[in-house]
Amino acid sequence: MITLGHYLVVSGMLFSLGLAGVIARRNIIIVYMCLEMMLSAANLALVGFSRFHLVNGLPDYTAQSLVFFTITVAAAEVAVGLAIIVALFRSKQSVDVESVTKLQG
Amino acid sequence: MSVLEIIIALPLLAALAIWLGAPARAASLGATSINLILVLYTAVQYWGKTGLAFTYSRPILENPSLSFAVGADGISIILALLTTLVMLAAIWQIHDRPAIFYVSSLLIGGGALGAFLTTDIFFIYAFHELALIPTFLMIALHGRAEPAYRKAVAWKATIYLGVGSLVLLAGLVWLVLEFSGGSKLTFDLEALRSQAKLNPLPDSKQAQIFFVLLLGFGSLVSLFPFHSWAAPAYATAPTPVAMLHSGVLKKFGLYGLIRIALPLLPHGVHVEWVQNALLLMLLGNILVMGLVTIHAKRLDDTLANSSVMHMGYIFLGIAAGTDIALKGAVILMFAHGISIALLFGLLGRMRNQLGTLEYNKLGGLANHAPAFTVLFAFGTFASIGLPGLTNFAGEVLIFLGNFTEFKAGGLTHLQWTVILALWGVVMSAVYMLRAYRSIFHGSPATGLFMIDPALSQRVPFIMLAATLLVTGCCPWLLLNLMKSAL
Amino acid sequence: MLTSIILLLPFFSALLILLGHRQLKGAAVLISVGSSIISFIACLVLLAAADDKDNTKLLLPFLDIGDFHANIDVLIDKQSRGMMFIVSFIGLLVHIFSLGYMKDDDARPRFFGSLSLFMFSMTGIVLAGNLIMMFIFWELVGLSSYLLIGHWYQKASAAEACKKAFLTNRIGDFGFMIGILLLFGLNKGDVSFDNLRDAFVQGGPLFDAQKSNPGIITAAALCIFMGAVGKSAQFPLHVWLPDAMEGPTPVSALIHAATMVAAGVYMLVRVSFLIEASPLAAEIIAGIGCFTAVLAALMATQQNDIKRVLAYSTLSQLGYMVMAVGAVAMHVQHGHELHGPNPGHPAMFHLYTHAFFKALLFLGSGAIIYACHHEQDIWKMGGLRKHMPVTFWTFLIGTLALMGLPWITSGFWSKEGILGAAYDSGCSILFHAGTLTAVLTSFYMMRLVIVAFFGKPRTESAHHASEVPLIMLLPLVLLAVFSIFSAWDGFATPLQALKPAHEPPHTTVLFASIAAFLIGTGGAIYLYRGKDKDPVSIKLFANKFYFDEIYAVIVRICQDRLAWIVTALERVLVDGLVARLPTAIVARLGAATRMLQGGHLQGYTFLLGGGVIAVIYLVVFVLPRLGH
Repeated sequence: MITLGHYLVVSGMLFSLGLAGVIARRNIIIVYMCLEMMLSAANLALVGFSRFHLVNGLPDYTAQSLVFFTITVAAAEVAVGLAIIVALFRSKQSVDVESVTKLQG
Repeated sequence: MSVLEIIIALPLLAALAIWLGAPARAASLGATSINLILVLYTAVQYWGKTGLAFTYSRPILENPSLSFAVGADGISIILALLTTLVMLAAIWQIHDRPAIFYVSSLLIGGGALGAFLTTDIFFIYAFHELALIPTFLMIALHGRAEPAYRKAVAWKATIYLGVGSLVLLAGLVWLVLEFSGGSKLTFDLEALRSQAKLNPLPDSKQAQIFFVLLLGFGSLVSLFPFHSWAAPAYATAPTPVAMLHSGVLKKFGLYGLIRIALPLLPHGVHVEWVQNALLLMLLGNILVMGLVTIHAKRLDDTLANSSVMHMGYIFLGIAAGTDIALKGAVILMFAHGISIALLFGLLGRMRNQLGTLEYNKLGGLANHAPAFTVLFAFGTFASIGLPGLTNFAGEVLIFLGNFTEFKAGGLTHLQWTVILALWGVVMSAVYMLRAYRSIFHGSPATGLFMIDPALSQRVPFIMLAATLLVTGCCPWLLLNLMKSAL
Repeated sequence: MLTSIILLLPFFSALLILLGHRQLKGAAVLISVGSSIISFIACLVLLAAADDKDNTKLLLPFLDIGDFHANIDVLIDKQSRGMMFIVSFIGLLVHIFSLGYMKDDDARPRFFGSLSLFMFSMTGIVLAGNLIMMFIFWELVGLSSYLLIGHWYQKASAAEACKKAFLTNRIGDFGFMIGILLLFGLNKGDVSFDNLRDAFVQGGPLFDAQKSNPGIITAAALCIFMGAVGKSAQFPLHVWLPDAMEGPTPVSALIHAATMVAAGVYMLVRVSFLIEASPLAAEIIAGIGCFTAVLAALMATQQNDIKRVLAYSTLSQLGYMVMAVGAVAMHVQHGHELHGPNPGHPAMFHLYTHAFFKALLFLGSGAIIYACHHEQDIWKMGGLRKHMPVTFWTFLIGTLALMGLPWITSGFWSKEGILGAAYDSGCSILFHAGTLTAVLTSFYMMRLVIVAFFGKPRTESAHHASEVPLIMLLPLVLLAVFSIFSAWDGFATPLQALKPAHEPPHTTVLFASIAAFLIGTGGAIYLYRGKDKDPVSIKLFANKFYFDEIYAVIVRICQDRLAWIVTALERVLVDGLVARLPTAIVARLGAATRMLQGGHLQGYTFLLGGGVIAVIYLVVFVLPRLGH
């Protein structure tokens, strides 16, 4: 029997993996992908909660609709984010996060 | 509408007009001369009267009760007179400088006038802060030193005065809260005064608040040991700023103590630990700074340090707290303001013409610049405390005021302090006469040449010197403005 | 009215000249001399109008707060009227003499302006009705003395001398002010001379204080005396007076011989009731005066500069007067009444006679210096007797008066009064030292006359010396007349000279003064007749007991070194504790927190993650245990 606990453990592992990637990796594209992974972890948790929170015998679909919003926003964010990364690569010839220091005081 | 509001507004409006493009010299000279006339008018009107006059109040907030209230008694009028005199002289002596010199002088003077002539603690404080800002900027931007050094000096002054103002603010808030008693907050000085008369605070609380105010106001007046911003700032500041800050703006802290702290906390200064602390600090001003001044090797150092030293005497008057001593303190505030402004003004001229102020390079200036020498002698002998010039009247009243309560059995701490402080009078004669001798006496040093200022450039200095002479020979002129007991 | 003319006329003259002498030019001299003539006439009127009623009148307001008054009060009594005559008469003569002496000086208007300032301030001291007014003018004479000593400020020595004079006087004034403050406190805020004296005589607060704590009265008296020590150049503040000879000679005659330096004695006589109240103070005052008299006389015997000999002689005579003040007080303390119908005072009487003959001597030396083209060394003079007969005879009269030629000269009578007072004081040291001083005085003055006027001219300038113009001789002659006759009752009574009541002199005193005159004169004639260089050489005396050097060391150590140390400490400690230490703490804290904000994106993320974990840990594991 798969319980809410299983969902949440997978979601937590996914989130941790994403966080570790954001912290540890230098390549900005990988950092970006890890960020997406953390979003997905949140989505998974939402779906899990939705499935196990019964309203009148039915799952709570509010959370699922929220997931769709998140996916949409994430898609838009990917579009903007990748555009920024491409622009950065053009100006810096590098995808290393440490190379972008122009705004540092 | 009160005449005082016009006096406060005129310099600020003139500064605004110059910023909008009015001719700087004409506008600022016009505004300050009108101001001087107006202040003289108020002085004549107030002659021999007592209490607060020319009051007018514009309410701003209900609770906490806040209003733009103006009003003046003898102390305010004397200090307003000092401000307008020094402002006129400082602006007049500006020569061949950008408009910001005029604007900043007007702002400093206008801020000081606002602080002296309003009767609401909020505005007293705010106007003083307004006047401080151009001081810092002018030292940093146009100071007479290497850019790095003058910036450091400006920062030092900013931090000292900023922290001092914060401590002061804390003390004032504490004071207001204590008096409001939870109900309605008021910043009005008169209302607070009547409350302080009706139900005064307990002595121990008065002592605590007074001490906080003393530290706050004290660091604005370069009370020892919070003085080390003053000497470099005055030595570096552009001439009009040095004149206005050392002559006028510095008196704000003393004014605040006499105007706010003493009437609201009448027992605060007499509580033993506060008094002993104050006496130690002012002895630091007089004796330590006196020796430091003796050690100075340049005229700007001497004058800047002596200005710190002389504050000790005014604090001595405040420490005594008797009527005679406080009136002496007010007179000395006026006298010191005029004399130090005169000296700093002349110093600026020397620096421009000679390029050096080191004693061992100067000498014999009296040969070529006799009028300049006479003017400088007025400043020198005034700060030595020679009778016939105003400083003497102030000093002697302060000393006497400390001896009105006298027990034949022995001297109090206060009176021993006076005796030690009297030695400071000897020290000030030592360093001022040494300076005077090495600059003006002797044969002219080679390569240095100085001529008398043209008559029109002499006017501001003559005005200040004449003020010293007239109020020095007739100090009752000033005392008549202070008929009410302090 | 009269007093306001006497006081204010020189004031306006001084103000006008000092501030506008370049516009006034020659008129300045006329204004100054004119004002001194008018003042002199006014003083004569004041003397004539003497109705023997002493009073204090308010002349001008100065400080006025509630019950406290410190105004320009004028106290007219016998003492001030007599002193006023001396000041205005010698002042007038010095003005006239200066017309000749300063003829070629470019800065003549400034000189006369300062002279007027001096006349104003000295008048103020004489007429002062309270201690604060006296202090005001006390300082002002210091200023005019400063200006006049520094008249030739281009000369380094003059510039140093005027500074030294002012500062030394300041040290005295330090004590004077403390004394005033003590009396102010003791007498409940009233420092007028009338009230102070009444407080003693009729038992005011001052009298009670004396009963409860006599030490404080002694302290007040000694502090007041310190003012006199500065102004009258007593040991240990005597060093400024010889240096003050850098000023023009007429100034030395007026200020540094006849009037200003005597102000200390004048003031002490004014507050004699205070000194009489304290035996210790009286003894110290007499002792200091006596010590100064002997010390200065010893120094005078080895000086070669004509003005310096006279300067040390002035010091010595001032010591005499101060000693007399103390001796008289001691005499009174032994139960003798002085304040009879004739309140004469030997110190004031000697001040009066001394003023004339010492002014004469200084003006005479001025005439010599003028004739010898500013040569001041007596060993470069000689034989002036034939070239300058009038100067010689007047100078000789002055010398004999100073030496106290028995019965004939005024100096004999006043000196005998002082020796009498010392004899009566009950302290034999005072009398012996006084007699020794008299011997030395005769000796060095006779030495001066022999070396400068007799023998052969030793230099060119002495050889070509010729008699000075009439305008300079006139004051000499007038002063010579006064030097002889001023002790006679015909002069002293109308001039209100505070001559002591004529008692039959003690035989011892009479014998001592005559013997002193003879021994001193004889010794000088024996040693110096026909000599071309000094046969005696005592380094210690010639170098003034090395006081200047000792003081220079003291000033260097106690003041300049101390100033250096304090400045260093102020920089290190005060700036360190108040400014640098907080700055350092803030800087350290800033550096520490700065590490957290290094601008590394991933560092922030790490902290974020840590934060999230911490929050979860708190919410899940800690909070439930705290009571939920």
